[in-house]
Amino acid sequence: MKMSAILKKEFLVFFRNAGLVIFILYAFTLDIYIAGKGIKVTPRNVSIGYVNEADNLIVNKIISSFHKPQFKQPKMFLNEKALKNAIYNRKIIVGIVFDKQFVNNLISKKQAKLQVLIDSTAAAQAEVTLIYLQNILMKFENNLNLPAKINIIKLFNPNSNTKWFMSLSELMSNITMLGLVLIAVVFVREKENGTWDIMLLMPVRGSLIIFSKILSQVLILMAGITISVGLIVFGVFNTPINGNLLDFYLISFLFSFAIGGIALVIAAVSKTILEVGHLTIVIMLPLIFLSGAWTPLSAMNPFIQYLSYLSPLRYYIQATQDIFFRGSGFFDLLPYFFAELFMAMVLFYIGYKKIGKLF
Amino acid sequence: MENGELRKILEVKNLSVSYGKKVAIKNVNFSLKEQELLGFIGADGAGKSSTLHAIAGVLSFEGEIVYKNYVYHSPKEAEKIKYEISLMPQGLGLVLYDFLSVKEHFDFFRDLRGLKKDKEYENRLLKMAGLYEFQNRLAGNLSGGMRQKLSLILSLLPRPKLLILDEPTTGVDPISRAELWNIVNEMREDGMSAIISTAYMSEANKMDKLMLFDEGEIIASGTSEELIESIKDYTYEGEIENNKCFSFNNRTYSLKPLNLKKASPTLEGIFFVNALKKGKKPIVINVPEKDIEIPEIIVNAKCLTKKFGEFIADNCIDLKLKKSEILGLLGANGAGKTTFIKMLLGLYPIDEGELYLLGKRIRSYEDRLTLKSKIGYVSQKFSLYKDLSIKENLEYFAKMHSLSVGETKRKIEEFARMFEFEEYLNAFPKEVPLGINQRFSLAAALLHEPVVLFLDEPTSGVDTVARSAFWRLLRKLKENTGISILITTHYMNEAEYCDRVAVLKRGVKIVDDEVKNLHKKYPRLDFEEIFLQIYKENQ
Amino acid sequence: MKISVLRAYLKKEIIDLIRNKMIILIYLIPTMILILFGFGIKLEVTHARTVIIDNDHSKLSLEIINKFSRTKYFDVRVENLSYKKALHLIQTNKADVIIIIPPSFSRNLYKGAEIGVYIDGSFPLRAVTLQGYIEKLLINGFNIHLPIKIENRNFFNESLRDYNAVVPGLFGLIFLVVPASLAAIMIVKEKEMGTIFNFYSAPIKKVEFIISKLLPPFLFHSLNIFILLLLAFYVFNVPFRGNFFIFWVVSEIYILISVGIGLLVSIITSTQIAALVLSVIITIIPGFLYSGILMPISSMDKESFIEAHIFPVMYYNHLVYDSFLIGQGFKASENVLYFFILCIYAVTLILVGTFFVKKAIK
Repeated sequence: MKMSAILKKEFLVFFRNAGLVIFILYAFTLDIYIAGKGIKVTPRNVSIGYVNEADNLIVNKIISSFHKPQFKQPKMFLNEKALKNAIYNRKIIVGIVFDKQFVNNLISKKQAKLQVLIDSTAAAQAEVTLIYLQNILMKFENNLNLPAKINIIKLFNPNSNTKWFMSLSELMSNITMLGLVLIAVVFVREKENGTWDIMLLMPVRGSLIIFSKILSQVLILMAGITISVGLIVFGVFNTPINGNLLDFYLISFLFSFAIGGIALVIAAVSKTILEVGHLTIVIMLPLIFLSGAWTPLSAMNPFIQYLSYLSPLRYYIQATQDIFFRGSGFFDLLPYFFAELFMAMVLFYIGYKKIGKLF
Repeated sequence: MENGELRKILEVKNLSVSYGKKVAIKNVNFSLKEQELLGFIGADGAGKSSTLHAIAGVLSFEGEIVYKNYVYHSPKEAEKIKYEISLMPQGLGLVLYDFLSVKEHFDFFRDLRGLKKDKEYENRLLKMAGLYEFQNRLAGNLSGGMRQKLSLILSLLPRPKLLILDEPTTGVDPISRAELWNIVNEMREDGMSAIISTAYMSEANKMDKLMLFDEGEIIASGTSEELIESIKDYTYEGEIENNKCFSFNNRTYSLKPLNLKKASPTLEGIFFVNALKKGKKPIVINVPEKDIEIPEIIVNAKCLTKKFGEFIADNCIDLKLKKSEILGLLGANGAGKTTFIKMLLGLYPIDEGELYLLGKRIRSYEDRLTLKSKIGYVSQKFSLYKDLSIKENLEYFAKMHSLSVGETKRKIEEFARMFEFEEYLNAFPKEVPLGINQRFSLAAALLHEPVVLFLDEPTSGVDTVARSAFWRLLRKLKENTGISILITTHYMNEAEYCDRVAVLKRGVKIVDDEVKNLHKKYPRLDFEEIFLQIYKENQ
Repeated sequence: MKISVLRAYLKKEIIDLIRNKMIILIYLIPTMILILFGFGIKLEVTHARTVIIDNDHSKLSLEIINKFSRTKYFDVRVENLSYKKALHLIQTNKADVIIIIPPSFSRNLYKGAEIGVYIDGSFPLRAVTLQGYIEKLLINGFNIHLPIKIENRNFFNESLRDYNAVVPGLFGLIFLVVPASLAAIMIVKEKEMGTIFNFYSAPIKKVEFIISKLLPPFLFHSLNIFILLLLAFYVFNVPFRGNFFIFWVVSEIYILISVGIGLLVSIITSTQIAALVLSVIITIIPGFLYSGILMPISSMDKESFIEAHIFPVMYYNHLVYDSFLIGQGFKASENVLYFFILCIYAVTLILVGTFFVKKAIK
């Protein structure tokens, strides 16, 4: 009864703060869309230029095999100097020099060495671009006879669709941010508006107030996740889910309480919503980057890998990627559920102690 | 100096201001002479601030303002006169920076105005405001009264020819108010004119001329004697219950002749007469009588002490709240009133002393929970949830106090009828006048039938008519339900409505006596004077 | 322009920022972003957890295993697992790559031999990169003649270091987001607290107020240019091949652009938190997308390519990468052009902001 009164009040307050509602909707929809659509990590449309010193038709044949989606229409340059200049001015990323010797060797079936100049400012893209080139050139010779067939299968995302990965990563980053903000703000707003004392004067246990307030925001968060996953992740990007969506909700729910514990600490030390904003930024950034949102943990420095065990986001991200991409089942996910539950209990206890002092 | 020699310094012609479609003031005309003190009075939102802002050149307006010989029609044109005009906007220390010390404020304002450092003058200002010893204190650590005094002397720094003060004394205690006035009067002798808006009629008496604002128009102007004179036909002695006349402070105002003895009016009467002329009716308060068993002593505080580090906010304060009694808790800003109330409410832990509610000692967390369910509390500025409608606010409070759905509905209807805010039930707090907020906050505090009510400056900033209704309501409540009320206020004439007052000074209780005894002790003084006298006697 | 007004605000803001501890954030956040993003964004692929199931046990299969073990790209474990169990390793995120060499693989060469490779495709960039490495290594392992051999020369970032690629790009992100939000907050604070009346009612010019309010965030962040530069040198060992002076001046102009954006944000917001949120939202996306960290501008499709030219971050980053890795300076006409474009941005933003600031209550 009292709990439902608090929940109702917090929902009303939330929906009447147009600015906050717009911000939350933005973070759950448009922002995820922009991230999924805009951040392309695998190189596409690589701008390429060439010099045809040999002036042989075979060159045109090779050039014609560089096409979309990997490469833009290659641009021709008169000499090597012009080509280099274009790279220096960052008009093109790749420059190929077809010299006479290359053409002669190619025709006479000797190994032909092809000079490729590459702007490696973006190191990883340069590397992948070289791989593209190699593949194209290898297949160019139709009669290349490999002794064995190399059968490569990229599991879960065979076409390397970056939208799937990017939108989910952005979603988890945003859930972290919004969880911190929403839960801290629901307390700090009372401080800022001068209703804190009124809240304390209710003949209700502090624990009930704290728990109900958090629950109200966790429910809003879960609604936001539903909108985001339904509308953007599934709706727009057609992301597959190989595991069970319910597992995702369960881990999201546990994570909300873990992040809620941190939010309680923020709420306890902040006097204004602005301070909540600042503290959220300072806490959120390391949390996201040390938990493998954008780079797999296994590729990180071992020290960071150990440190990341302390981050509730680590288990959330791993579980989510396992559920969506790797298709792990409930029992495979159990370690994550337990770890997240443990984090939630510890963090919530710390946060509860901290804010409890103000009650 | 003779009156005739004084030049006209300001002339306002057909001044109108509107915010979007809403008209704030329309066709206001008046003028001001050198050294003259002009007072603006009127309810919240009557157009006083807009007029002051327009003159100070910080608000776009229509019409024409002439300062000395300079004519301006917009803030842009007003730039040239800003060297001679100072504005102090409404709000306790609104223009101060919390993290800057008193001294640093002087540096900032001096540089902002491009002034040369005049140590002698600055020291004089600091001494006048009693801030000379506190030059290194941060503005955020000053009391409300000190903040206002600092704001005032900062606005005097450029030696303005015209000083514009927007409610400089609202929320300020009587001691600081008197000091603020001393500063203004001293500067006036140097040839300064001033326009001051105020909610305190005792201050309005000090002005050379008064303008009464109502709904964006000046509906009366003149000296305070002239204004008082204009309502003498409508003023009667005593207070009566009648929906055709208003009663406040032992006076009754009626347009129709009454069968009562005529009395000499007070300035406050002008608001009531104006309300009557507009066809407004006083609210009819009908608090049903209740017979609940309440012990004689409701709250008993024994030697309550609260310390913040080295600072002793409240030093061994004893206070008894009896059944069916209104106790006024008075004192300067920072005297320890709010801290004391917060201890009684269980919001601050008590450092020393004992607190009994209904004869039971309050010690544990459980005790405090019971305490909370017996207390009603209205805080400064009526801090209710601004994102909930009035009805939703009340429903929330009812549910938190475990009222059933049916009971909640019945009580909300009852209170809305009783306190006359039925038509505002679905409005949001910021959309309704302050007086309505005040009454509905009171309703929220009464929903769970508390035995004691704590009110922390519930009348600050509320207009006179609404204040009179509020006080009648409190009296009715106490008479008919036996509730006891602890109230703090800066309007000293409101103390007349209390049965007893306790005065705090620097954390110590210096007086605790019945109002009528105090009047006997200090004959022929009004309560504000009594209060100042008490403070003086207890150095 | 009255110097005293400037002095008044400058002194006040410095005291205020120090006493309300905002100064910590001014210097903590940019450093934090650089360190976290610099170390956190790892695009190169190394130490992929690779399980090779060798059912052949031939000279060739050992050769293949050796080839994989010898590179930094793969951490190889040879295990004897069933196909299903191996796949389960990827499913539970315990391995990134599984290579299955079937029985009698070496005997069936040129007779339909097939080698199975399974890559965890969850991280697309990693998957594509791994695929390339694996193909290259396997083909190498077969020891056959390739008609064309690529001889690549890497420009600017010869050793293909991730740090060189990511760290310079972060300058454009940090100096777009952080000064803008600081400037917006500092101006809106006066509105929210009511102290804006000091500006309204004093005889000072609009321009004086704006310059006075924008100068503190500008100066505070000017110091950050050096802090971040030192971090780039000594923490990330990024080379610097250009002209320091050009880099410095361009960065100062870029910070001006950022505080100009903050000024515009402050005009349409009335609370500090709204100013913070809005300024971060409108700067962080272009700051990230068009920074060139993840995708070179020249490789963008038409739409993004045009969008990238609308935001100032592209021009600044071009000059920053030039300063760090390329070093053409103003010898390249394009750099000069971009420099002027940035100047125009700064002037326009601040002029537009000045036009919309009103010295009166709204």
